[in-house]
Amino acid sequence: MSTQTVTAKGLKNVEKDSVFKDTMKRMLKNKLAVIGLVIITIQILLAAFAPFLTSYAPDTQTLSARELPIGSEGHWLGTDNYGRDMWSRIVYGARISILVGLGSVALGLIGGVILGLLSGYYKKLDAIIMRIMDLLFSFPGILLAMLIIAILGTSLVNVVIAISIWSIPNCARIVRGSVLSAKKEEYILAQRSLGASDRRIMFKHILPNITAPIIVFATMRMATAILSTSALSYLGLGAQPPTPEWGAMIAAGQDYMWTSPHMTIVPGIAIMLVVFAFNVVGDGLRDALDPNMELD
Amino acid sequence: MYEKLLFLLVAIPILLLAACTGGSESQPEGGNAEGNEGGGSGSADQTLTYASTSDAPGLSPIDTNDSVSSHVIEQVYETLFKRNAETGEIEPLLAKSYENPDDNTWVIKLKEDIKFHDGTPFNAEAVKYTFETFLDPERAAPRASLLAPVESIEVKDEYTVVIKTNKPYGAMLAALSHSNASIVSPEADKSGNLNENPVGTGPFKFVSWEKGNEIVLEKNADYWQGEPTLNQVTFKVVPSVSTAISMMETGEVDFIDGVTSQHTSRLEGNGSINLIKKEGTPVYYMGFNMEKEPMNNPEFRKALAHAIDRDAYVESLNGLGVRSNSFVGPQVFGYDESAEDLGYSYDPEKAKQIIEENGFGDQTYHMLVANRDMYINMAEIAQAQLSEVGINVEMEMIEWGTFLDMTAEGNFDLTFLGWSNVTGDGSELLYPNLHTDNLGSSNRTRYSNKEFDELVVKSRTTTDQEKRKEYLAEANALAIKDAPWVPMHHGVVTAAVVDSVKGLELSPTGSWRLYKVSRE
Repeated sequence: MSTQTVTAKGLKNVEKDSVFKDTMKRMLKNKLAVIGLVIITIQILLAAFAPFLTSYAPDTQTLSARELPIGSEGHWLGTDNYGRDMWSRIVYGARISILVGLGSVALGLIGGVILGLLSGYYKKLDAIIMRIMDLLFSFPGILLAMLIIAILGTSLVNVVIAISIWSIPNCARIVRGSVLSAKKEEYILAQRSLGASDRRIMFKHILPNITAPIIVFATMRMATAILSTSALSYLGLGAQPPTPEWGAMIAAGQDYMWTSPHMTIVPGIAIMLVVFAFNVVGDGLRDALDPNMELD
Repeated sequence: MYEKLLFLLVAIPILLLAACTGGSESQPEGGNAEGNEGGGSGSADQTLTYASTSDAPGLSPIDTNDSVSSHVIEQVYETLFKRNAETGEIEPLLAKSYENPDDNTWVIKLKEDIKFHDGTPFNAEAVKYTFETFLDPERAAPRASLLAPVESIEVKDEYTVVIKTNKPYGAMLAALSHSNASIVSPEADKSGNLNENPVGTGPFKFVSWEKGNEIVLEKNADYWQGEPTLNQVTFKVVPSVSTAISMMETGEVDFIDGVTSQHTSRLEGNGSINLIKKEGTPVYYMGFNMEKEPMNNPEFRKALAHAIDRDAYVESLNGLGVRSNSFVGPQVFGYDESAEDLGYSYDPEKAKQIIEENGFGDQTYHMLVANRDMYINMAEIAQAQLSEVGINVEMEMIEWGTFLDMTAEGNFDLTFLGWSNVTGDGSELLYPNLHTDNLGSSNRTRYSNKEFDELVVKSRTTTDQEKRKEYLAEANALAIKDAPWVPMHHGVVTAAVVDSVKGLELSPTGSWRLYKVSRE
């Protein structure tokens, strides 16, 4: 018995490695996805090493050096209306955007995966859970998030919660669909006939087999989460000043569009690049993880 | 895949653009918009379009209390007295003269042969009717407090009215020159709704109001001071200031007011727009919640006052603010120059020292900020400067209505507020904002000082204007020393008009009259 388990584990590892390698190989063939990966890597590096990459704190004001244009001495991206260094604010903003994205997607996944598994696995729960999800679906996403923030109050943490609640129904529906097809597979039948518990079947056997759509969903969702955070902050519902959140920076800069357009354009480009990157990487992953696609 | 990409390529710039709408909204085609031709003096179309960011709640002086309504009210109605925009002196308008037989009696003679727009004659009965309606508890006029000390209004003869007060009321003339104390046509008020259909004696008559869009006035050809030059005036609602400025550039709007510092350089850079600036009566301040620890400690307030570099702050307003240590501003009655030597100047080292000695830096303070550009600006600068001396502040930004409730309840440590002071009288600043009587309502910082209270009451109940000035200066000095506020700046009232608009007079309270305005 014990020897068998060992071999099974060994086999699994071999399989895992090769899946990862295959996926990477396929990904690298997709030029757009590679560009996306590079952008994401840069963002992660900026976020991680923010203090080493900047010479000013993001909220240090120099009222005598307000609205310096791009290319000014000491401030290569210029300064904003309080004389804060734009480069510092963008770099620290990268940190916020990645944390908020990861946080809300992770929370949304936990909720969505559990609900999706339950709903796909237990027929009785299915109707109830899916109707609740339909209820959440009936609100336009950003409105739902605004409603949740109106209840919880404005702060970045509440934005994370709001966006994660908004991702739950999407995630649950994707997971449920995959569970429905996976539970008909013979290896599940085999587990069941061996007397495995429902929990074991769900988390040990079904879940690992449906990771591909979840990974794709999570990656694409990062883009939505980052964009929504910016949108909510732009509307004044998210990050509070002086937090260097990109959406809030656009909102603050729009009154200065005529005199200092860089205050809106720079964070705008940052948001655009990151959202673009997560979308193309998600797309690339979808293609790469598709077992039907040929690896020539 | 490619579809998706295409979608992305299209969607992202659109989102980006949407994020920047403020100014980039589609600009209507310019060209020969109304009255924007300039040049030929006789041929100029005598119309004017004014834009404000919100619509007027109503057009009755009795039933409103806000600046948007008052801009319209001041063209349609008139008051008994008026503050001269240049000298700041109060002069008779509908009144001819007044006298005080004793401290509690005001005998006001009225000008004769003036008619309301509906033909009703203007006389002592109209004044009596207006003020009695104004004070009627059932009507619940929002600004009834202006005439609170008034006990009775009597008609002595057709053009003489006698107002009796229950105690001497020093700010009577200032109150009577307030736009909310405008005289209304009794007939029009009895038979209709003044809020919807205003009838006054002013140079312009009401024509139409399309709610949320525009109010149209036309000239009153029978105006008692002579016909105004402008034929028609339109008050347009344009929610975004940037859009309103774009509309000025294309000739759709001729006049805006309340310009904030972020728009000045754009306006000043435009050769065909005149930016009018004038030192005004508003005061903007950082307020402490005097009922809470450690804000009730004078050392704490002193340290924070020393920590804020108000010179740099006022400098950053691009000329739209005046630096003064005084609570009663330089343009307000009761100001005395000696106040500039009082107060606490910028001295971060001293601030740090006080904060360290008292351990003020150990906690985080709750800074409540109204969601309006000017206050957010003050708060961001103050927060950064306070953090430099070791005071940690957490900023909460909320919507205006909620903000007023929360500050009235005392739900804050630090906050930012302003007082525009429409009467331009120091009593009308110190009494509502700092007197013990108004704790929990308009006294939001909860300052209470017996000696100060007495001086303010004296300034209100004395009719000798010189004495009043002395009391106000003394009260002001006391409050500056106690520092329930750190005065951030005193307002500069602004208006921007296109070149062809001539003769606009802007008063220090931010109000304006269009009677003498013409187009060239």
